Amino acid sequence: MVQEKKRTASFLTTEFYLAIFLLAVLVFLGIFAKGFYTINNVMSILNTYSYTLIAAIGMNMIIITSNIDVSTGALVSVVCLASAAIGKLGLPFAILLPAAMVMGMILSTINGLFITKTKIPAIVATLATTQLFQGVLPLTTEGSIYDLPASFTWLAFEAKIFGMVPASVLICLIVTVIALFFMKYSRFSKKLYAIGNNQHSARLAGINVEKTIVITYAIAGALFGITAIIIATAGQRVTTTMGSGLEMTLIASVILGGTSTAGGSGKVLGTVIGALILSIVSPAINYLGISPNWSDAVKGAIIIISVVVGASQQFKKKKRVIQIPEGGTL
Amino acid sequence: MANKKKFKVTFNTLLFLIWILIFVAIAVISPAFLSPGYLVNVMLRNIVEIGMVALPMTLIIITGGIDLSVGNIMILSATLGGLAAASYGSVAGIIVTLVTGLVCGLLNGLIIVKAKISPMVTTLATMYLYLGISRGISKGNSIYTYEFTTLMGTTSLFGVPLQIWIYIILAVIFTILLSKTTLGRKLYSIGLNENATQYAGIDIGKIKIIMYVICGLVCALASYIWLGRFTSIKFDAGTNFNMKVITIIVLGGTSINGGIGSMVGTIIGTLIIATLNSGLTVMNIPIDVQTIVHGSVLIVALIGYAVINNRAKKKKLIKIEAAPKQAASM
Repeated sequence: MVQEKKRTASFLTTEFYLAIFLLAVLVFLGIFAKGFYTINNVMSILNTYSYTLIAAIGMNMIIITSNIDVSTGALVSVVCLASAAIGKLGLPFAILLPAAMVMGMILSTINGLFITKTKIPAIVATLATTQLFQGVLPLTTEGSIYDLPASFTWLAFEAKIFGMVPASVLICLIVTVIALFFMKYSRFSKKLYAIGNNQHSARLAGINVEKTIVITYAIAGALFGITAIIIATAGQRVTTTMGSGLEMTLIASVILGGTSTAGGSGKVLGTVIGALILSIVSPAINYLGISPNWSDAVKGAIIIISVVVGASQQFKKKKRVIQIPEGGTL
Repeated sequence: MANKKKFKVTFNTLLFLIWILIFVAIAVISPAFLSPGYLVNVMLRNIVEIGMVALPMTLIIITGGIDLSVGNIMILSATLGGLAAASYGSVAGIIVTLVTGLVCGLLNGLIIVKAKISPMVTTLATMYLYLGISRGISKGNSIYTYEFTTLMGTTSLFGVPLQIWIYIILAVIFTILLSKTTLGRKLYSIGLNENATQYAGIDIGKIKIIMYVICGLVCALASYIWLGRFTSIKFDAGTNFNMKVITIIVLGGTSINGGIGSMVGTIIGTLIIATLNSGLTVMNIPIDVQTIVHGSVLIVALIGYAVINNRAKKKKLIKIEAAPKQAASM
């Protein structure tokens, strides 16, 4: 395994191609989309990018273990509302952030336990919990919580680095750097890849598969919590649908970043680039003068093309490996 | 094998009993529910599109695949058909809708089979693509019904709405297809072990593509009824449609991993969800609580199914261990 990795560890990886593509798009936008690189626009993209990426890193970990979480959107909405309820008391951000992380962690751990204890496929289990989260949400509030104090929206309006960069970027940077090192060097991350590749052999190798998966969901939940608090604090009103549809964006970012939904492969760096590409699409289309109605179609096309190209490359690699035994049996 | 068949029958009977139980409970609490007009015109009519799409989707899930793009195939075919009908008349609308459904399904199937990308990733990407195209082409405006769709959505035949007749016919066809034809056997076989099926001389690629095409066509058919029933549709109406369909199928006892499941289960699952939907509405229970009830029903079904399944697996394991020994001795 190690040797094989070393051999293919040339710079021609999925991440490399993605980075080239991203660079090309950025240059293209610089030339053709006037006003794309204004400070306001870049900062607003960076803010969207930050919260997408933080949650996408969590989703990436889950998908590496060959599980998935489709309840993220509902979960983020729940945490948004709950933190708004706490935030109304006038608590500072320093308390709101850990509170949101803990809430996200608890909800996501429920997912993890549900999946591991009942052995139900993750997509079905999280589909069921989505309905629970969605149902509980509006019961607690009458549609939305509003008139939130300044202490709640501190992150979005007052916390700016150098007076312009949103503080969410700083949070995102910290999370990303930690994740990059964690997923590369920690023993826990090796377990994730092992489980994703082959759950049974991982168990035989002495990994406590169930515990690892639950912990993965818990960590991802904490990251979803951070995302939730960034989304929630963006305005003085928090509604019950703040996070809906987020899960699809996250899964798309992760897939675009080269992580296979079969599990066992994928890097944080890929997700970092994938999330950036998807965050750029909507504003880019806007500044290119194309109707914003086409943004979803462009996103879909980008995902399909990148996945098909990625698969055709893997094909070539696999063919080289498989040819020997196939020649023997046929 | 005989043992397994017996077990399957009991599961569907159990599901049927649960449905009767729910039905009777709701009828006792609010007798207004029992009026034939309500049962036919509200309870069944509201579930027809979801139930219809669930039929081919069951086939796909039994082969171990999934189609997340169904809701947006419906939207896209309704959009294109509606626009064609607006400028070229009803016949053009009918043809364009069907062709769109066919092409969408074919695209899904081709990417999944030829590029060997996992069905979930493929249909997630095409989901975006179809949504985006319908949004872009309709410019975000509503699409209005035309003569043929109005006919499909509002006509009654012998006092029962036309769409229910269509559903019944489709249900019978699909039930026979899955349980009485060789194609049905092949589908189970693909779901249980794809490689073994291929070595048994079955063209799995072709069968899979056909399944996705059928799914696309049924989506197109359902979109006539949908457009007729609502008189106008916007591009975002198909969101969460896929999850509703999957909920029904999973409730019906079809394993998301493929190889296990039955059409009768899906049909009973449809009835249970329909009864719950309209029953809870009759009982004046708010829509949020209904979501919780849905989620809980799904979770209970999942856990119950996991328990039964684990027992069945244990029985199977012993058989599989015994079989190779015989082969070796021979």
